[in-house]
Amino acid sequence: MSLEEECDDAGSNSWCPGARYRPEPPAALARASHFTQHEIKLMYRGFKQECPTGVVDEEAFKHIFSQFFPLGDASQYAHFVFNTVKHKQRGKLNFEEFLGTLSLAGRGSRAEKLSWVFALYDADGDGRISRAEMLAVVRAVHGLLGPAARPPLPRHAAEDLVDRIFHLMDTNADGVVTPDELARWIARDPALLSSLDTLDTVL
Amino acid sequence: MASVAAWLPFARAAAIGWVPIATHPLPPPPVPKDRRRAEDEKLLINVSGRRFETWRNTLEKYPDSLLGSTEREFFYDEDSREYFFDRDPDIFRHILNYYRTGKLHYPKHECLTGYDEELAFFGILPDVIGDCCYEDYRDRKRENAERLMDDKLSEAGDQSLPQLTDLRQKMWRAFENPHTSTAALVFYYVTGFFIAVSVMANVVETVPCGHRPGRAGTLPCGERYKIVFFCLDTACVMIFTAEYLLRLFAAPDRCKFVRSVMSIIDVVAILPYYIGLGITDNDDVSGAFVTLRVFRVFRIFKFSRHSQGLRILGYTLKSCASELGFLVFSLAMAIIIFATVMFYAEKNEQDTNFTSIPAAFWYTIVTMTTLGYGDMVPGTIAGKIVGGVCSLSGVLVIALPVPVIVSNFSRIYHQNQRADKRKAQRKARLARIRIAKASSGAAFVSKKKAAEARLAAQESGVELDDAGRDEDIFELQHHHLLRCLERTTMIDDVRKFECYAEVVYGK
Repeated sequence: MSLEEECDDAGSNSWCPGARYRPEPPAALARASHFTQHEIKLMYRGFKQECPTGVVDEEAFKHIFSQFFPLGDASQYAHFVFNTVKHKQRGKLNFEEFLGTLSLAGRGSRAEKLSWVFALYDADGDGRISRAEMLAVVRAVHGLLGPAARPPLPRHAAEDLVDRIFHLMDTNADGVVTPDELARWIARDPALLSSLDTLDTVL
Repeated sequence: MASVAAWLPFARAAAIGWVPIATHPLPPPPVPKDRRRAEDEKLLINVSGRRFETWRNTLEKYPDSLLGSTEREFFYDEDSREYFFDRDPDIFRHILNYYRTGKLHYPKHECLTGYDEELAFFGILPDVIGDCCYEDYRDRKRENAERLMDDKLSEAGDQSLPQLTDLRQKMWRAFENPHTSTAALVFYYVTGFFIAVSVMANVVETVPCGHRPGRAGTLPCGERYKIVFFCLDTACVMIFTAEYLLRLFAAPDRCKFVRSVMSIIDVVAILPYYIGLGITDNDDVSGAFVTLRVFRVFRIFKFSRHSQGLRILGYTLKSCASELGFLVFSLAMAIIIFATVMFYAEKNEQDTNFTSIPAAFWYTIVTMTTLGYGDMVPGTIAGKIVGGVCSLSGVLVIALPVPVIVSNFSRIYHQNQRADKRKAQRKARLARIRIAKASSGAAFVSKKKAAEARLAAQESGVELDDAGRDEDIFELQHHHLLRCLERTTMIDDVRKFECYAEVVYGK
């Protein structure tokens, strides 16, 4: 692994002497993930173009994410996504972590994807999704849509949705959702299960 | 959008988090798994010999510019398989960097108009210039615009030289530009002389000229030679009145003229005399009459028509009105504060001058401007301390806005100097440009004559030498076009063309 030192200043676009990040060569990365070397090369070029220093901090991440959802506020959802990544350096995302997460969430097996989805909802990482955590994520997803939705979402759409489905997910009614309960919830509808596979990207 | 295309897979993958809360199943993927994205290719761009290479996707980031749209196909050279632009390669470097990094920079050493032209050619708006360079760009653009505006105005001023038949217009021009005719110049100097005389008379008539008969005290010259001064004053006022009436007659827009500063100064200069004529030598109103005489000193402002420096000073003060206002306001605040403190410090002193706060105002003003007349002096220790602080702070408060005013004055003054210099050089420059144009016109005319001679020889079957073959087909057809024009309008073959050449090339 390449050497990384703590950078004092924030912002992934500032140059910190000594904190030069270099990823593993493409062949090694291709072996470790579900992508081909060609795809990894393409992605790295784009990644490096966007962040010349090779690491993204949360602000830049939010900014990039919001470019895909121009009408809404993507910062909340981006925050949750950023948290799912196991950071080597606090608050920063490097290419290997990026690739790892992408491999997991985009081309992993069903189980891997489900575990990633669980980690997304479970913000504090205690292995259980509480009602508040689910509400936060639902609000974030609705926030992606933004005020320009037609027809506009009703005021308490997030709360209503959580009210409706949380007790359906929580089959043993202990107030939290475990990974198995989440898996069972998604598996109840085969169309929903196949939705997990529709979001892979062809490069 | 294409700049973050590398992150699209990530955004799509992150969207599986929506699956648990989805109310409907998600639509199937749009692209079948076996399809591959079109392979990105490198494009070669040749700008005046310097070669640039970039990915096609980089260029297509900005589809409403020349390079990002199909417009670049017009410049594609099939033989060398590259895009050729006959433009400045140094500036192109910045334009290409804009595509690569999303930031457009403005190089300080480049000329602004050249840069603007390149941006316009490649279809990029100057508004996308990055924050790092935008201020510099805006400042230079404003400077350029001001300079061009100045040039245009002065050009417009010069253009009005053609003959004006209207007497009013002639007179107005004579008044505004004394250098246009000798009569105007004479008028200019005469009025200047009389302004000086009038001001001098005002000054001299208060000088003591001997003793009062039968009483103590000296007699001012004005009372001793009453008749002389009265005649002098009358003469000056006659001239000024005549001048004002003539200007009023000649003014193209009388309402605007009456409201202008100079005309108000004129009126204020002559009115006291007429009012003085109207009032009799009565004790009740003689006080008012004396006050009116003070206004005679405003005649000195009439000099601002004669002096450009004075006009610039006035303009500077007007443009620095906010700084001056700040100065006055802060001084007023400081005066009130220090006067109050001083008064309460000195109130109980024996035989003190500081009888009230307004009385202390005078002390504060004199101290803050470091004049220190010494007519009012603090006695107590507290008073002396306050006085010391007052004088130190006075220096600071007055020194602060002064550099702003000075720099404003300097800028306006230099602008005027430059404008005058440009005007002086303009005539010489235009003459040189005209000569250059004429010589190119002469070359064209001789070429055309040679072409005609060849054509005539060809028509009559005489042998030609092959030197004529090298003529560009465009030029041949241009000459032919002019010949067609002549033939259309012709009376006499040769003479018509020479007249035409004179008109076109200004020989």
